[in-house]
Amino acid sequence: MKKLTYSMESPAAPLVQRNWWVYVVLILVCLVNFVPYLWVVMTGFMDGASASSATPAWFFTPSLEAFHYLIVEKGIMKNFFNSVIVSLASTFFSVTIGMFCAYALARYDFTGRDDVSFWVLTNRMMPPVAVLIPIFVTFQTAGLLDTLAGLIILYTAMQLPFVVWMLTGYFRDIPRRYEESAMVDGDTWFSAFRKVTLPLMMPSITATSIFVMILSWNEFAFATFLTSTQAKTMPPAIMAYSIGADIRWNVLGAAVVLITAPLILFVLLLQRQLISGLSQGVVRK
Amino acid sequence: MSISERTTTAPPMTLGQRGILSRFGPSNRAAFPWVLMAPTLIILFAIGIYPFLYSLYIASHNVILSKPYLPRIFVGLYQYQALIQDPEFWHALRKTLIFTVQAVFIEFWLGLGLALLFQRQLAGIAFMRVFILIPMILPPLVAALIWRYMFYPGAGLMTYYVGGITRALGFGEIPFLSDPTVAFQTLVFVDVWEWTPFMFLMLSAGLASIPRQPYEAAEIDGASSWRVFWTITMPLLRPAILIAVIIRTMDAFRTYELIVIMTRGGPGNATTTLNVFLTKTGLEFFDASKAAALSLIMMMIIIVMSFVFIRVFRSKTEVAE
Repeated sequence: MKKLTYSMESPAAPLVQRNWWVYVVLILVCLVNFVPYLWVVMTGFMDGASASSATPAWFFTPSLEAFHYLIVEKGIMKNFFNSVIVSLASTFFSVTIGMFCAYALARYDFTGRDDVSFWVLTNRMMPPVAVLIPIFVTFQTAGLLDTLAGLIILYTAMQLPFVVWMLTGYFRDIPRRYEESAMVDGDTWFSAFRKVTLPLMMPSITATSIFVMILSWNEFAFATFLTSTQAKTMPPAIMAYSIGADIRWNVLGAAVVLITAPLILFVLLLQRQLISGLSQGVVRK
Repeated sequence: MSISERTTTAPPMTLGQRGILSRFGPSNRAAFPWVLMAPTLIILFAIGIYPFLYSLYIASHNVILSKPYLPRIFVGLYQYQALIQDPEFWHALRKTLIFTVQAVFIEFWLGLGLALLFQRQLAGIAFMRVFILIPMILPPLVAALIWRYMFYPGAGLMTYYVGGITRALGFGEIPFLSDPTVAFQTLVFVDVWEWTPFMFLMLSAGLASIPRQPYEAAEIDGASSWRVFWTITMPLLRPAILIAVIIRTMDAFRTYELIVIMTRGGPGNATTTLNVFLTKTGLEFFDASKAAALSLIMMMIIIVMSFVFIRVFRSKTEVAE
């Protein structure tokens, strides 16, 4: 009894035996979340025969057959680099533009502020399929169909509401007096913003950028209908190779490896920034 | 004369420019926020409002994409009326609402449970977080493809192992994607698999921002952990719950890749949600007007839902404080 109260009081208490079930639960959750992905990745390294066998083959001789098919025969790296360009550029533009809007919403108290911020959010509510037809027609007249520029413009607009909402919360957390004292010292508004506010915002901006980049990298509906040959990104390309009359599971697996490799790498490298950035601002008080 | 005129008129011009700058510059607290917001608002207007107005226009006419030669006639509210009288619309709406409520409800409680477990700061727990987040990081397309594969008769892991168990128990194979009721629950399961990590992440962030003092006070008073959870954790977590549930509801309401890839709305129309119904109307039957009307109705529903959410949560938070 004595020991139990002690362990409840101090967070630094030594591990107690009654925590074993937490480990069991968490390991189960990890397995459920990870094994399906692991299995598909493994399939990507199988040859056609073991990938299509009815009994799951957990042990097999690795083969790069499917990667060879996708990269050499189908030239999927072109789609890969399209995706890289589109997601980097749209992230850059949406964060740079949205940052100032978020700053205005967080710092200034003007009439219609709540309306503007709600209206910005409603832009995220339209189902993509619903705006597809008007956007298709507009892109056709503007000559933006099947171009990287078209996708970049569209994704920038799509990600703006998200950027504005995330960054508004973060900006509110930064005390206004820091900038004000810089401006008293003779800095202009912009140089105070650049030298004081921006460095303080960097972790949150990084977290937001990672999120936005992932969303752009994953976007499927618009990419499918607005591109055909030149600007096709990874998601529609993968759709084309992995769903058909006869499905080659190892090709599907290899495609999944190619599209998810950058994401997994990114999250492993930047996990800390991602989580700390989120906990800083998503929930503001 | 003309030269001297020019030299004398030059300084006022720069003064005039400076005047514009100061009129809309940082010193003007009324206009400056609008200057900062202008690029965002212009872009959102071009890509957000324009398609919206275009949808309004199309929805009030009869545009069939496969028959562009037909004259465009103004039909007023006919498209909305036709939709409201269409039993398929009500079927799709019901399916969408059931899907959204089921998925978000399960995701919320599972995500909250996980977030609470992660508060215990056990050894090795940070390492597990990466594994838990994986489904959420995967492109929705890939998550759908993975589970299509897992449930594929004669090839997937699920059909093999779960099928093995149910055969041994004498139930036979589970028709994961071929029975109407089971297929619907399979989709809910995959959505829960994919998005519980998101709830977990948002709610973890919320838990991390709760101050320690109320807990210490409760401990001194000797409150049970059950009471502490309902009277301290839940009220203080409300802002985080609000954001997480709104975002998830909006996204679950318009789930697209998952359903299109796994069932295409079938078997029959058992998994035809509004978004699938919309895709079929607009891109398979090319009835652009009906599709536009439908998309406007969908948007209205989503806006009303998030408005209600914000109201309810705001009033409750104010009561709690």
